[in-house]
Amino acid sequence: MLGSFLNTITGSLLIIAVTMMATMGIALIFKTSTTTNFAQGSIAALGAYVTTFLLAGTNLPLWVALILAVLIGTALGVLVDVGIFRRGRNVNIVGKQIITMGLVSIIIAGIPMVFGADIPPNLPPFIPGNFSFDVFGTEVTITYHAMVSIVITAVVLGLLFFLLYRSKWGLGVRVTASRESTAELVGVNTFVITATSWGIAAGLAVIAAVMLGGTGIMMNPAFMTRIQVNSFLAGILGGFSTFYGPVVGAVLIPLSVAVVGFFGRFSPFFQDWADVIVYVIMLIIILIKPQGLFGKKIVKKV
Amino acid sequence: MNLQKQYLQTIVPGQSLAQKVTPFNKMMKNPLSQFLLLGVILLVVKFLQMAGLVSGPFLTSIGFVLVYSIAAIGFCLLLGYSGLASLGTAGFVGLGAYLAYYGLNQWGVTILPTFLIAGIVAILLGFVIGFISLKIEGIYLAILTLALSEIVVQILKTLKSSVRITNSDITFFGLFLGKNGAFIIIVLALITLLIFTANLINSPTGRAMLAMKNSTSAAQAMGISLLKYRLLAFVISTLYASIAGFMYMLLITAITSTTSTILTLVFSLNILGAVIIGGAKSLWGTMFGVFFIYGFQQIVLIDIPFFQENPGFIMLITGLLLILIVMFYPGGFAQMFLNLKWWFKKKKAQWKVYRYGKEA
Repeated sequence: MLGSFLNTITGSLLIIAVTMMATMGIALIFKTSTTTNFAQGSIAALGAYVTTFLLAGTNLPLWVALILAVLIGTALGVLVDVGIFRRGRNVNIVGKQIITMGLVSIIIAGIPMVFGADIPPNLPPFIPGNFSFDVFGTEVTITYHAMVSIVITAVVLGLLFFLLYRSKWGLGVRVTASRESTAELVGVNTFVITATSWGIAAGLAVIAAVMLGGTGIMMNPAFMTRIQVNSFLAGILGGFSTFYGPVVGAVLIPLSVAVVGFFGRFSPFFQDWADVIVYVIMLIIILIKPQGLFGKKIVKKV
Repeated sequence: MNLQKQYLQTIVPGQSLAQKVTPFNKMMKNPLSQFLLLGVILLVVKFLQMAGLVSGPFLTSIGFVLVYSIAAIGFCLLLGYSGLASLGTAGFVGLGAYLAYYGLNQWGVTILPTFLIAGIVAILLGFVIGFISLKIEGIYLAILTLALSEIVVQILKTLKSSVRITNSDITFFGLFLGKNGAFIIIVLALITLLIFTANLINSPTGRAMLAMKNSTSAAQAMGISLLKYRLLAFVISTLYASIAGFMYMLLITAITSTTSTILTLVFSLNILGAVIIGGAKSLWGTMFGVFFIYGFQQIVLIDIPFFQENPGFIMLITGLLLILIVMFYPGGFAQMFLNLKWWFKKKKAQWKVYRYGKEA
């Protein structure tokens, strides 16, 4: 029993890592540009396609292709900020959402045009094979791919949090996040801050997509949508007012889905309704604590 | 109106702008008769199709545009008049569609009870979101409605996988049969809802909603109950979405793989986009926005050979135009048409001056 429970946990590790990466990107953009970036998933998918394209066209190793794809994704993110969002500063929040929606259309339509229809819809794992060990007589398995993904996530997010809380750039991001106009007043170059945030967010998205693609699921231009929706929910579950809140939320949601799914061993009810149960619990938590688990209450003065 | 006259006066001084008031002109100024005219035109097109003069796929595309318009009008009331954003349209439309399917096809009830069930469930859901909206506001509320919509969608999908579905056709208790009846029902529903909405907007309720949009604190100070009007806005919006789903099911009559396209976040965003580029506060603009997003490719561009060979380009162009309109034309199509109208009036007045000379 313990063994199979551990198997459930190890099985969900990869999806947790992917969601953490995606959520961090969404939180960065949400805080610096005050918009929910719906294009995050499509930029991620684009990155995954670039990786596949590089792997199929040239004989580069996967990690080189990944780095190139991350660089391309970052460039695209910066381009979006410089080309569109910087010019559309007066657009209201809903308008900004629509702009990211337009980006979704462009990228989803553009992917088949750029890469052609005959691109292989799969990505290889970082390292193939499984690692297994014994727990009280039950074999617990974890794929090497998941392990590598977790290491990448830990390193990248660790570095990012170090930068956010210990560097001058991070200070700028945090100031911009609390209020952009005030940040400009105290001499923060908000152009650089938003552009780098978009770049980093796009880079994180690409890594997330390549990690998810390595599990062998069929890629299509919209294959990250599910993760993206979970990321938004993780953001409000953890509370967007801090940076670590959304990331903790990103661990909690896929983990709880896996744990509830585990109870499907006792009754198929839990297996079928795992997502619904978790979402309802999440909704109740947010209703009790509207600012999120780790959020701070912001008092609005008239 | 006055502003417009002043504007024209500054350009062409001394030019009389009084329009000739004919009974027809007077009637067309009334939004209700405009909507009735639209309904008559749509029905005429339908009869032309039945007579074989208009192609069937063309009319089906129009049918989809009308169905999505119903959802968009409800959303227009929510966003444009109450200032509340929601990302849950997909879930509510899906709810209506699935309930219609189960009612008509699985449980074997007739059209009226099914419609009532779909309506009541939608109203209950609207109440839930309305109460949530009192605690959580703005962009957080939008994400939360997304969560609620995800719950609905997951429930629908789980139910669908556990119930075997066969593609049998729907009969509406002998009264209406097949697609012809469905289209007429859709047109009637759309026109009724349009007239209802237009009246609501110009009523004290509509003005209370507008007050709430501009400042919740000021509205409350004026004695407008936030609870009442937020609940009302969400109930109406979810009800419209559910009706749209119901009509959608009448149009396609079976749950197939295409049904899942209305259960996605992209669908909610498209409706949101339609309302925004249409001009958020204009019913005609909203309908044009829906036409732009859903009808443009199926009805206009499909005849151009270039787009037949590269279907992806249509989506690309739609996305690009969406961004450009939001960035450079925040007022949307409604604003654009108004500007165009002013420009024409200006040119006409200038032409009159050129032709007949200035009035003394």
